[in-house]
Amino acid sequence: MLRHCLPLILILAGCSKGAQADLPYIGEARSLAAEWASVNEQASRGHLTAQYVHTMRASVREQLRTSQKALSQPKSDYGEEIAALLKEPDSASPQQLLAHSTKLKQIEDSLESA
Amino acid sequence: MNPLEITLGIMTAVGGFVDISELVFAAQAGSIFGYALIWVFAVMTIGIMTFGEMSGRVAAVAHQPVFNLMRHRLGLKLGLVTLFASVVSTLITTAAEIGGVGLVLHYLTGAPYLLMAAVGALVLGASMWILPFKWIERTYGLLGLLMLVFAAALVAIHPPWDQVLGGFVPQIPPGLSEKELLKYGYFAVAITSAVLFPYEAYFYSSGGIEEEWGPKDLPNNRLTTTVGFALGSLLAIAILAISAQLFRPINVGPQIPGSSALEAAIPFGRAGLLAALLGMLIAIAGAAVETCMANAYSVSQFFGWEWGRHRKPWEAPRFTIAWIAFMVLALLIVLTDVDVMSLVEYAIVFSIVVLPLTYLPLMLLARDRNYMGQYVNGRLANGLGWLFFAIVTIAALAAIPLYLLTSGGQA
Repeated sequence: MLRHCLPLILILAGCSKGAQADLPYIGEARSLAAEWASVNEQASRGHLTAQYVHTMRASVREQLRTSQKALSQPKSDYGEEIAALLKEPDSASPQQLLAHSTKLKQIEDSLESA
Repeated sequence: MNPLEITLGIMTAVGGFVDISELVFAAQAGSIFGYALIWVFAVMTIGIMTFGEMSGRVAAVAHQPVFNLMRHRLGLKLGLVTLFASVVSTLITTAAEIGGVGLVLHYLTGAPYLLMAAVGALVLGASMWILPFKWIERTYGLLGLLMLVFAAALVAIHPPWDQVLGGFVPQIPPGLSEKELLKYGYFAVAITSAVLFPYEAYFYSSGGIEEEWGPKDLPNNRLTTTVGFALGSLLAIAILAISAQLFRPINVGPQIPGSSALEAAIPFGRAGLLAALLGMLIAIAGAAVETCMANAYSVSQFFGWEWGRHRKPWEAPRFTIAWIAFMVLALLIVLTDVDVMSLVEYAIVFSIVVLPLTYLPLMLLARDRNYMGQYVNGRLANGLGWLFFAIVTIAALAAIPLYLLTSGGQA
């Protein structure tokens, strides 16, 4: 029985290890999504300068791409979530961006408690 | 004592207290652990007050800068090792600060980051060439007072003051997992390093000698290091508390240094954003100048070269070449496009490892009656000095394992 289960156990262990190794990048992406949402929310209230908004959005995108490239499992649910986040337009609504952040936070929490 | 000089000295210390590592770690600490790490800032500020006062007193009485002491007290070999480690850690810190200057200019103007880092380094170098020591210190310190916008922002957002004050009590938040505990430990060590950076002692004591301090300046030294550093530390604590109040509930753990400016933009709009960005620019630029000069002071004092900005640049040629070389090297590091946040983390970890070797010779001299006469350490200075020496030694031993175990606070 154990002999039949062993490959599956090894695959699951490997997946879990990969996902665990991806935790810092998931956390980064979760925060970046929320930072982007804050920038867009303050921008919509006229609280920010155009240069600041433009450069912050560009920095967020660049760092998100770096985090995405660093993932060991880009086809995972969190990989897909980060890819979806990157597809958002620069001026995406804060609620939409926060939804991505919340989803990533849920994934992060479930992996941390695993 | 001239009240104007004292006020200017205190204001300079306040404006010059915060640098990029404090900005980054204060904002992240607040967003991850709420108010629970305020006490580390508060306690370590007592540490920098203790060592700052001591280094100023030694400069005023024994007319000995820190690196002169190191060579005599540690011997040539250990002195050289300390010099090398200190130069490397301070050079990385300079690079982090120049990168920070480039980033803030990028946020302000929209011009490319690396170009702005190069322009920033050029302007800083020019200011170091043109201005005498006192005006270098005063210009950056006083303009850095724009950072007070963070203190005003904290008041404006009406935080739960009982929780903020509760953060001053040493604590480990209950219910943390093993992983979170390690991260909490890493942030405590990082804040210790950011507040007690070794370059601060090199720069402060060398500045005392530049300004020809004597025993008559000791009351001013004490006021600057106690009142000035305490008020400066409150700015860092304000950044942490705003982050705990505004960023934590929405899961922001600032990954971009520019996010800190949002803390002032949320209550005060564009004016707050601009004040925060300009304050950050000046504070980080001031730290870049201090770290660059601290390295030139260290090398010149160790090898017995002519040094100081009270001389014309060509009157202390090796010192001048040294600070120019350190500025160029730091800029070259930035131009490799290395991530500024990574540079900040490396600077923090390398610096804490050097800290015990920085403060031990200072302690030994400040308690030596042969050198210090009636101005030797009293019981309080000795007690606090040894206590903080023990703390930085433990932090130095824990820094690298904690950095690796937590992936630099990310895991």
